[in-house]
Amino acid sequence: MSTDPNQAVACRTVDAEERSLLGRVLDRIADHCRARSLFVLHYCTGCGAIELPPTMTSRFDLERVGMQPMVTPRQADILLITGYLSVKTLKRVVMTYEQMQGPKYVIGLGSCTINGGMYWNSYATIKLLDRYIPVDNYIAGCMPRPEAIQQVFLDLMGRIDRGEAQAWKDYYRRYDWYLGQQQQLFGTNWQAPTDVVGEAIRYRLVGEQTLGSHTAHLERYAPYYDQLGIIRPEPARMKARPQLEVVSR
Amino acid sequence: MNDLDLLLLVSIGTTAVLFAFGTWRWAGALGTLLYALQLALLAVMRPELPLASGIGFEVLGYRLQWSLSGLGWFFAIITVASALFSAWFAAGEWGQHRRNLRLLHGGLALNVTAMLILLASDDLISLFIGWELVSWASYLAMVQRGGPAMDAAYRYLVYALAGALAVLVAIAMIAAQSPALDFGSVRVWFASAGNGTIWTVMLLTMAGFGVKMGLLPLHLWQPAAYSESPGPIAAFLGAISSRMGLFAIIVVLAQLIGLERLGNLPVAFSFWNANEFWAWLAALTLIVPTFIALTQNDARMLLAWHGIGQGGYMLLGILIATPLGVSGGLMHVINYACYQAALFLAVTAVAHRTGTTDLDHLGGLINRMPLTYVTMLFCIIGLAGLPPMNGFVSKWMIYKALLDAQMPLLFVAAVIGTLGTILSVYKLIHNTFLGQLRLEHAQVNEVPISMWLPMILLALIVFITGWMPGLFLDLVDEAVVAIGITQLPHHLGGVDLGNGGLDMLWIVGVLLAAIGIGAIVYFLGNRSVRVGQFDNYAGGQILTADVPYQYSHQFYAGLLRVIQPWMRGGMAWGERALVSGADFLGGAMSGLYRAAPAGAYLLLAVLAALAVTLL
Amino acid sequence: MDFTHLFVELVLMPLIAFLVGLVMVLMLRKVRAKIERRIGPPLLQPLYDIVKLYSKKTQVSHGPMHEIAMMVALGGVIAMEVFLPVPGLNGLAEKGDLIVLIYLMMIPSLGLALGVGACANPNGSIGISRALTAMVAYDIPLMIVVAGVALFHGTTSLPEIIAAQQAGGMSTWGIVQTPVLALGGLIAAYAMLGKEPFEIYVAPAEIATGPMVEMSGKFMGTLFVMQCFQLYAVGVLYTTLFLGGGEYWISFLPKIFAVVFIPLAMTNVFPRYKTEDVLKWMWKWAGGFALAGLALVVMK
Repeated sequence: MSTDPNQAVACRTVDAEERSLLGRVLDRIADHCRARSLFVLHYCTGCGAIELPPTMTSRFDLERVGMQPMVTPRQADILLITGYLSVKTLKRVVMTYEQMQGPKYVIGLGSCTINGGMYWNSYATIKLLDRYIPVDNYIAGCMPRPEAIQQVFLDLMGRIDRGEAQAWKDYYRRYDWYLGQQQQLFGTNWQAPTDVVGEAIRYRLVGEQTLGSHTAHLERYAPYYDQLGIIRPEPARMKARPQLEVVSR
Repeated sequence: MNDLDLLLLVSIGTTAVLFAFGTWRWAGALGTLLYALQLALLAVMRPELPLASGIGFEVLGYRLQWSLSGLGWFFAIITVASALFSAWFAAGEWGQHRRNLRLLHGGLALNVTAMLILLASDDLISLFIGWELVSWASYLAMVQRGGPAMDAAYRYLVYALAGALAVLVAIAMIAAQSPALDFGSVRVWFASAGNGTIWTVMLLTMAGFGVKMGLLPLHLWQPAAYSESPGPIAAFLGAISSRMGLFAIIVVLAQLIGLERLGNLPVAFSFWNANEFWAWLAALTLIVPTFIALTQNDARMLLAWHGIGQGGYMLLGILIATPLGVSGGLMHVINYACYQAALFLAVTAVAHRTGTTDLDHLGGLINRMPLTYVTMLFCIIGLAGLPPMNGFVSKWMIYKALLDAQMPLLFVAAVIGTLGTILSVYKLIHNTFLGQLRLEHAQVNEVPISMWLPMILLALIVFITGWMPGLFLDLVDEAVVAIGITQLPHHLGGVDLGNGGLDMLWIVGVLLAAIGIGAIVYFLGNRSVRVGQFDNYAGGQILTADVPYQYSHQFYAGLLRVIQPWMRGGMAWGERALVSGADFLGGAMSGLYRAAPAGAYLLLAVLAALAVTLL
Repeated sequence: MDFTHLFVELVLMPLIAFLVGLVMVLMLRKVRAKIERRIGPPLLQPLYDIVKLYSKKTQVSHGPMHEIAMMVALGGVIAMEVFLPVPGLNGLAEKGDLIVLIYLMMIPSLGLALGVGACANPNGSIGISRALTAMVAYDIPLMIVVAGVALFHGTTSLPEIIAAQQAGGMSTWGIVQTPVLALGGLIAAYAMLGKEPFEIYVAPAEIATGPMVEMSGKFMGTLFVMQCFQLYAVGVLYTTLFLGGGEYWISFLPKIFAVVFIPLAMTNVFPRYKTEDVLKWMWKWAGGFALAGLALVVMK
């Protein structure tokens, strides 16, 4: 039995590039449709929300290119993060990002997501968003104009259409690294409800850095899993569990 | 000694055996077997119907006799089958750690015996004897848990005794004028009786038998009495006990008076006739309790209130007096018995594992008790009357008969009842099995096979007879013919009418095929990953097990804000007024003869004399 | 009817329903865009959305009931289509009547309700409680209308109702013969579509799209497909009851699009009612018109 989880199901190493002709045609069609139907979840806790209504509505009409605002992370393809993120908000962003379904894309809007912007000196905000979740596009500026936002959307659409926007897979392949960055901020007790490792195994997205010293911290939540007995376990070695410490005292 | 004598003998024997050996470990299993034997006897005697019993004697010039007609046979099948499944459920783990097992098994058997005697009655005296037996047997079944159950059963007893007195007065009136009290002579007497006499007798008997059926406004005792009795008993009582009232009402209205006569019997000072009057009362009976059920927070109370409401459909169907309507109403009796028994059993199973039936304190049990969930799912679809379950077939027949008989408003009333049912059964299954699992129920397990097998079997019957309603329509035919209505032509899939028929074989087949296509479309997508209940959208909040994230209290807040002002408990107020009125009158009387001074008597006498002289 | 013919009908009817439904969804979004003076989505947008949702690479399920519910919901709407006669295709309309059809239309809602409940999200449960309340609001007028139609034609068989209306050209259409009933039916059909002001159960800003809150990928895709079927079903049902059904597709399609267009053209200028106001409004106006129409039918 190989230790490579990608092999466990298929009994042989699956080459991501190895696709049949039909498979490639289907992928092509799917990418074509993905690029033309993007549902956006706005995470507007900072500033910048005011730039979006003109982008969405009559002035520039984003629906022309098939983009629509959506309400919950489950339904959305793009997570649009406007402005600064405090540490506390970042927890919610990470959780929301993990609850979205792949392929998923993140756009950082405004300078604050790139280098902290005018909050560079703040003790409570983060400076670089892509240390915590993979980001597809940044839009610099404080604030960027609606035209700039559209430009980035068009760029993203082009990359999706060409099958290049694969940053979301990076989160599964290097989950240990991302989790480590998150733990630096939130402490080692941090865990979101989504079982990222389990998903990586299920969808064969396990990379060299999916598991590691940081994901090992999640292991301590495993016993609470059986106590709640809610979902049947995947053959995963560890699971992110709902926070049950309060209960198990 | 014919099959009917044998059946009654076996039934009485069952009661005796179960009272004697009720505490024995295998008493439940023995009871189940004995009920199966009774069911087999009933099946055997089907070609011989109507079957007169050899037992019979003469009292004070009145001959008492028993005979099982097709109608009684139809109800008897349901009775014995309900008892069989209830006893089966109680036979295993459920009954093992329970006191009063003798009372439980014996009481159930006694109820069955009493009901069989009632169903086989062939004259008014034997009907009354059976009626009293059933009343007291029900009381025995209801009191078992003590406490609130005693109060509820006592309330029932008061209603039942008052009802029985009304019936007795009616029988006395008939006996004074009719040469004999067997059904045949009484039918002849009714044909010659005047409208006023018929109205008096009819009102008295309906008041008496309506108590058992929960006909509005005599229904107040029922929900508490049924829901407070032990689980399997509640399933039995809920499934069939109230239908004894319906049986007696059918005997009086359809067999003795005749539905045609009912249509020619005017209500004074109105355009109505008696048939419409009772039909509208049935419509009220199906609407009001259904919406009261919507407000209940206890699963058993919710089901018990629905039991009253569903009775309204049956009576309504029979009063349409067309073959389609009567068949629909009678078919609803057997359909309803299947799913109501299974629903009570499912709720009992949940209570057995979690210890509560409070809908605000359950939730998410679907992963812990999947079989109970499947039972409840099938049966609520039946109770709501949606395809593909059997409840839909009988309700469809009632709707269709109402439309064909040009009664659109009653049709709308029936539909309103159905809509209310859909809402409240969704609340039942959602608050019990869906939503978030509570931490204290995290370790709950499925009930053992002795409990889930009878439930699942009932649920399967609900589905299969929904797919092939002809199976039950065959049984219904016996009863329809016994009432004197033309037999409804039907086939295995349903009925074929000139103007829009029903073929459930096709409907269910297409539905299942379409669900298959839905499954294929579903599997077009990539495979899914199963997530836990805390991996859920909460507006960015991270969910924990100690804070319940569930919507169950006041489930239909918007609807209730509209209809609650109409629910002012008028009938309960009327009952309380009656009680306090009787109390006051009793007090006044007792004061009068016990403590009143002689002067008061003198004053009263003088006043009376004065009044007489003046007048 | 031979089996092959029937089989072809059973395949064709849902397929046509889906394709026409896609166009209706496009119309829905285009109309909204035009009213807001936007350009609106491209022609293939409904298809793009559905393909995109089904081709999501990760999918989240909340357990078997969540998955089965999606199959039942989609199966319910597909089954509903074969009981709705359209020009040239009667399907199984002989095997079930108008009442069966109305009750089959509740199956997808119930299936969906169970799936949403299994998601264990209170937003979804609130959405379902409101959706069922909305069902009580519009189904009572709808059933009064159904009773009126059934009484007027003396039958509940859909082919017979259509035949009776087509007997004398436009003058025997239900909308001419029973105009008040038709008005009540139109309001009920409007509420059935679940658009503003009756959009209580979606309410994106309040309960996060209610029943759809936990739906992702193919689950959401199923809902998008269902929307196509439902728009089509409402259009065809109303056309069947009041607009003389269809003899030819060329005259039938404009009718069903017109039926769906009327609510869609109005809906965009409305905000949302409260739950209890939907009930009161529907019972008062739709119910009132329907009862008046029924009274006229009974007196005739």
